[in-house]
Amino acid sequence: MILAGIVLASPSPAAVPGAGIFTSPLILSLTIWVPVAVAIAMSTIPNPRGRYDTLMKQIAFFTNLGLMFVLFVAYNQFQTFLPTMQYEEKLPWLASIGATYHLGVDGPSMTMMMLSGLIGITSVLASWGVRERVRSYFILLLLTQSAVNGAIVAHDMFVLVLFWGAAVIPIALLVLGWGGPRREAATWRLVGYWGLGTAALLVAVMTAYAASGGSSFDMDVLLKAVLTPRVQLAVGAALVVAAATRLPLFPLHGWARDVYSEAPLGVSIVIAGTASRLGGYLLLRTLVAAEHDASRLLSPFIAGLAALTIVYAAIAALRSTDMRWAAARLALVPGGLTVFGLAALAPLSIAGSALSIFTGGLAAALIVAAAWTLTDRAQTRSMQLLSGLAPRMPILTWVLILAALGLLGVPLMASYPAEAMILLGSFKNQPVGGFAVAAGLVLTAVALAVIVHRVLFGQPNHDAPAASDASLGESWYLGLLAGGLLWVGLFPGGPKLPGTDQPIFDPGLLNVMSAGITDIASAYTPPSTPAATQ
Amino acid sequence: MTNFILVPEALVVAGAVVLLLVARARRRSRRWLPTAAVALALIALIVELWVGGTLATFFGGALVQDRFALFAKAAVLLSAALAIAVTDWTDEDAPAIGMAMILLAAFGVMVIASASDFVGLWAGLELAAAAGVVLVSMRRTDLGLRLVVVGGVASALVLMGLAFVYATAGSADLPTLHRTVGVAGPILPFAIPIFLLLGGLAMRAGVPPFALGLGVQSGASPLAAGLIIGLVAAAALTVSIKIAAALTPVPAVFAPYLMVIAAVAMVGGGAAALATRSPRARLAYLAAGQAGWVAAGLATHYRVGVGASLFLLGAFVLAATTGPAVMGGADAGEFALAGMGVLRPARAAGVALVLLSLAGAPPLAGFFGEFAVGAALAQGGSLWLLVLGLLGALMSLAAALGSVRAIYLQSPPDESRRAAGGRLPVLTRLSTYGAAALCVAIAGYGIFASPIVSLADQGAEALGLR
Repeated sequence: MILAGIVLASPSPAAVPGAGIFTSPLILSLTIWVPVAVAIAMSTIPNPRGRYDTLMKQIAFFTNLGLMFVLFVAYNQFQTFLPTMQYEEKLPWLASIGATYHLGVDGPSMTMMMLSGLIGITSVLASWGVRERVRSYFILLLLTQSAVNGAIVAHDMFVLVLFWGAAVIPIALLVLGWGGPRREAATWRLVGYWGLGTAALLVAVMTAYAASGGSSFDMDVLLKAVLTPRVQLAVGAALVVAAATRLPLFPLHGWARDVYSEAPLGVSIVIAGTASRLGGYLLLRTLVAAEHDASRLLSPFIAGLAALTIVYAAIAALRSTDMRWAAARLALVPGGLTVFGLAALAPLSIAGSALSIFTGGLAAALIVAAAWTLTDRAQTRSMQLLSGLAPRMPILTWVLILAALGLLGVPLMASYPAEAMILLGSFKNQPVGGFAVAAGLVLTAVALAVIVHRVLFGQPNHDAPAASDASLGESWYLGLLAGGLLWVGLFPGGPKLPGTDQPIFDPGLLNVMSAGITDIASAYTPPSTPAATQ
Repeated sequence: MTNFILVPEALVVAGAVVLLLVARARRRSRRWLPTAAVALALIALIVELWVGGTLATFFGGALVQDRFALFAKAAVLLSAALAIAVTDWTDEDAPAIGMAMILLAAFGVMVIASASDFVGLWAGLELAAAAGVVLVSMRRTDLGLRLVVVGGVASALVLMGLAFVYATAGSADLPTLHRTVGVAGPILPFAIPIFLLLGGLAMRAGVPPFALGLGVQSGASPLAAGLIIGLVAAAALTVSIKIAAALTPVPAVFAPYLMVIAAVAMVGGGAAALATRSPRARLAYLAAGQAGWVAAGLATHYRVGVGASLFLLGAFVLAATTGPAVMGGADAGEFALAGMGVLRPARAAGVALVLLSLAGAPPLAGFFGEFAVGAALAQGGSLWLLVLGLLGALMSLAAALGSVRAIYLQSPPDESRRAAGGRLPVLTRLSTYGAAALCVAIAGYGIFASPIVSLADQGAEALGLR
């Protein structure tokens, strides 16, 4: 029923109590510029010898809480029956080249903004233990969130490139300044790969701009321009490189292991949760939505990359001797699934991919956070030493199991409908890739089972350092991530009053996400046969 | 209004002369002088913005006030004011002469911006360069001599180029040149002098591999380094824009040279910035890389490209002129910047933004300019040059991040190490406010780019481009 409801979007609006109470023409700008303004304000507050470090943390937390409130209002008032952009803002920026400050959200972007809000709060909570240069840390964290939000709501390719590139700088500085022992290598790999991705995105944008007459960077113009298949192929290839460096996809995944394992936890959560999801979002918003010929030409190649990524992640995780490395590799799986769904070019799989950007972000962030917290509490990262921890870590045991289930997409987890839609939608168009991805998921399940069994339920290792369970503070951020996965898994269409279709306070992530998907996927809808029409 | 158009130039020259007279008086240092010089430059800027929009010609058409002149003069006056404001005057050998030379160099660029013939271009360029020689020689006469020699070669090349172009076209007047070259077509007698001319200008702009005078900046005072990296380079680039605009009917005689220069500068500047450890040398290489982007925009030889180059030139001159001054005496290794974020927060923010802007990092001034140039390159079909530029920008970004890390993430070095080449600038109210204003200018240049880019576009249109 849910799957059918997504593909055949309901034309009638579902009334949400409270709709229309709060409107602002600048609601999307607020999500970008409020963190920047707060970061600037924080940089001017005197903080002699770290006296106000706690205040800095509180400011960052309440800024994120405020943003989440604004986003929740926007989410609640989102018109799920409209396939067009909503909350649009448009101002001229670089008029001579046709660049505008154009923001807007449709279903997938609104969903991703909710993910960003949730990840923002989680990352601040996960960063509560930061002791060194607290002010600088939280300033950079806020700037990262601002850049990610900007990239999500951008409706002009210039704005997208601007924020896509801007995210690199604060994240690199966060890893460099607060990372683990191998932070230097991690940072330069991140800068190299993400810089390459930004350059590829810029080349794609400029190629499309030149081919479309060089009049505008607005997505309404640029992505609707009629390009020759050859140009589309060049643009598409560059977009795939940009996305593959960010998600990442095999073989452009070189940064992931070091960054996820060396970055401070709050930063790892932001990267795994939202910053890397931008790769999948880029493919959905540009390649699949606009470059139809290139999508069709490149789809076997992209599906191959996705399948390779999942298989590689599972095998590499299985062979890992470091718990954080294993988690970093497993965090690649959701990205591979997202891209596979997009490569299948079926309406159902595309809808599944859009949903999997949200669920995959949560699952990847949860597995990275769980592994990070567990290794921190166990005082070792070595898989040789981590064994039989379940009796001493009941909370972390539950969290790690939930993270594993979230990655695998079992029923009741948010990733279940996403993965089901991707696999069901893709088998017709990409049967070989579908089998490869399914095999990769089986391998992932094996890897997760082996890791969970060894680390949690194996024979306790008496040579290992003393281990303790997650603290209350750690339980909060882990609980938020796990809770998000469970909430959407339990109520994908939003909670409703018994016996009615009236949503209580959540219009349903699936309903919001599906607004706009029909429009994006319409080019790939198979032509109906005369018999079916009759 | 026409009567007031040359007031900014008059104010700047008068200020420079007064400062030179003050320096001759040899009395004890006057603390109000920098504030007065900043006020003078800002008043000149306000007058320029107020009356500069009026179109006018002076001295029989030798000087022209148009939107191009307005843009270039406003950018250079703002840069000069901020450079004076952020300079640590306790680290300068002769503050009054330093301020006078900055104002004279700014005047040189203003003359170029208004010049409509070769004489004005030449005079402005030499004035800016001479101010640099004077200021460098104040600290190190050997470096001053080296600059004279290198600058002499550059001047000779420029002069020979201008002379040959004059001989071929029959006129030293830029509008006449614009009309006649179209008739003559892209012939070899044009191509050779243009080659010499652009080579000389590339040397003046410090663009790799012509950056023969780069070592000079390392031993000079911060203000002198800023003058050479920023104002003299801006003078050369402004001359290049004017010459390129005049030669647009025959792009074949200059565009290929500019493309090669741009490619080498963008990639070479980025690579050299990544390789060096000295913050000031890194800044100079980053600036050279951005100068390559300006040249790339000119190579497109049409209005959008030249407008983008002009827009980027504004960002370039702002960052490159003020950069060494706000950095202060930190010309040793990267440790010289270590802990600056804690000890000098306003200056540290200024240095970080300057480096990131020169590297083309979003969302700062340099990024907006480089993006506009990139769009022009794409429109012109020069995607290969864009790809090389992105390669250079990637290396530049990595280099800038290295310095930003030192500023914010490393602990301050001990005093003995600091004394070896990393003395932090003295804290003054003017320099703190100046650094804060610099941050606002570099961030605001991009964020509020709409009117600025519009003015730059009008500036390109004023040069007769379509």
